[in-house]
Amino acid sequence: MTFKKFIKTVTFIEILKGMALTLSRFFSRSVTIQYPDERRPIAPGFRGQHALAKHPQTGEAKCVGCGLCATICPSQCIHVFREKGKVSRYEIEVLRCIYCGFCVEACPYGAVVLTENYEYSDYSKENLYMTKEKLLSNWDKYMPGNKGEEYFKRFWRPMSGDFETPSQQPMFRGKRS
Amino acid sequence: MDQVEKIFETRELNVNMGPQHPATHGVLRLVLDLDGETVVNVTPYVGYLHRGIEKLGESLSYFQALPLTDRMDYVSAMSNNIGYVVAVEKLFGIEAPERAKFIRTMVGEMSRISNHLLWLATHALDIGAMTVFLYCFREREWILELFEKICGARLTVTYPRIGGVRNDITQEFLESLWKFTEEFPSRILEYETLIDQNRMWLKRTIGIGVISAEEAVNWGLTGPTLRGSGVPYDVRKFTPYDAYDRVEFDVPVGTEGDTYDRYRCRMIEMRQSNNIVRQCIEKLPPGPIMADAPKFTLHPKDAMFPITHPTKEHAFYIDEKVCKGCGMCLRACPVKAITGEKKKPHKIDQAICLQCANCLAVCKFKALKIVPGGKGLSEDKLKELAQAPLPEEITKAKEHLVEHFTFIKRGPRAPEGDLYVATEVPKGELGFYFVSDGSGKPYRMRVRAPSFIHAGVLPRLCVGHLVADVIANIGTIDIVLGECDR
Repeated sequence: MTFKKFIKTVTFIEILKGMALTLSRFFSRSVTIQYPDERRPIAPGFRGQHALAKHPQTGEAKCVGCGLCATICPSQCIHVFREKGKVSRYEIEVLRCIYCGFCVEACPYGAVVLTENYEYSDYSKENLYMTKEKLLSNWDKYMPGNKGEEYFKRFWRPMSGDFETPSQQPMFRGKRS
Repeated sequence: MDQVEKIFETRELNVNMGPQHPATHGVLRLVLDLDGETVVNVTPYVGYLHRGIEKLGESLSYFQALPLTDRMDYVSAMSNNIGYVVAVEKLFGIEAPERAKFIRTMVGEMSRISNHLLWLATHALDIGAMTVFLYCFREREWILELFEKICGARLTVTYPRIGGVRNDITQEFLESLWKFTEEFPSRILEYETLIDQNRMWLKRTIGIGVISAEEAVNWGLTGPTLRGSGVPYDVRKFTPYDAYDRVEFDVPVGTEGDTYDRYRCRMIEMRQSNNIVRQCIEKLPPGPIMADAPKFTLHPKDAMFPITHPTKEHAFYIDEKVCKGCGMCLRACPVKAITGEKKKPHKIDQAICLQCANCLAVCKFKALKIVPGGKGLSEDKLKELAQAPLPEEITKAKEHLVEHFTFIKRGPRAPEGDLYVATEVPKGELGFYFVSDGSGKPYRMRVRAPSFIHAGVLPRLCVGHLVADVIANIGTIDIVLGECDR
């Protein structure tokens, strides 16, 4: 054992260094969030509970019932039933959904969205079986005003712009810090 | 005396560790044969988290199977997605555009950092260093928030797509990621201050789970678990995919092949990943984010707007002169609005029709016409209007819509053949092997999961050591049972 190593061993220097670090953290700001009282901000485009989009003018569901969402769904949790000229039932089994967002991408009509709501746990399965009425009311609740349009603009992909070079694209603009 | 010896006979103690054990990183069950504190034999049992992902992949189209890969190694879902997407792209023979490649490399390395952070956190917690656990989760949370900013999900991201990525990144994301990369090296220093020289950490890791380079190769180990033994094998260097051939990074290797060396390797890898992310941000080129391969990617939504926009009230009409009466549209119609006998022209009942375009997608003879603004008009009027030539934008939109429907109903068709593509995920080499019979679904999808192979080496590492070192060994090979059992 060299002298240096001996000094290190008897002075507990590395442990003291670690202790100093944890002590300094003791005086810094806490990073934990007291969940039910405070919530972290949700990024736009969060893939949460579903909603059926409404026509901006008529206020009716945009869905025409083509069934592409039900076809693409990897967990097959969407059921579409149609009757003469209208969609009679549109149901999503929330408990089976994996929130991949493929239904949004598959829909050519822009009729289904994933909203930012993530707090909808419940005691009964019936409440988590979303019917058309519930899904439409979700649209009013979580996509009020212009929010729905903004959502489609950013997250209803791909658009033609994704296949070509747009004029303005997010680029690195030098070190700023 | 014989009686006494029989009663106090020395027997190996059989201990069941797991499947519900806090230190087994999932549902790994180990049956330990113990002689006192020394491990005589270890038998790992896997399969408690088996969900049949390989079999599921056979029943889903190439596009649909992507979210399954999120659920394999849920700690670094992004890397798994990239592995799958790179393999499928090679099978299809398409290539993602440059910008998409850089974005993928960037998020892949972010996922490597988050995986190594979780590994360090749990590994240190298992060994007894609780503070590191809390510190690592602080930074991991930061990365997860960045993931949420780009794709709306924190863990099961499903962000890359076949032929590119889902959506472009934002300026805000780029800047906050840059801020992260500036901050992160100092955070790694913090972890190292806590454990790197700590005498308890050294005692628990040095000389534990030693495996020589030759043996490690023979066991099929990959990733940092192999590199800790001094073999500089890294898929990113040997067969570069995405943008790895355009960024500079070193492959750290250990010398002894023990738990401490593997720990050092991963710590250096985090720094290298941080560097790669920075290089990707700096070099990020402008350009498209989806490959121009209409048969293998989703179609642009705005190109379909002339037909699908809610304000456009059009009607569908079957041209009697062209319709051969094959019955395809009849079967495709979800509301049975189309009537007609076989080999005779069909008719659409406008009162029932949903205008959903399902019939449009299946008609081979182009007998189905779109009548712009024809909703609610009489049959004769529609007949008259259907003869008029369509505006060009609607003809184009119709083409896109038909291909969109076909893409989703059948899935992208892969050429016949088979291939194996490996990518470097944080755990090691993740390989996808596809056998394609030319349809929209793989005939066989095989996943070479590094965790499964690493779980197999546990007996070799543990035998002869103490029980407490089993925990250290489970941590050091970095397994996730979701990927191991698939």
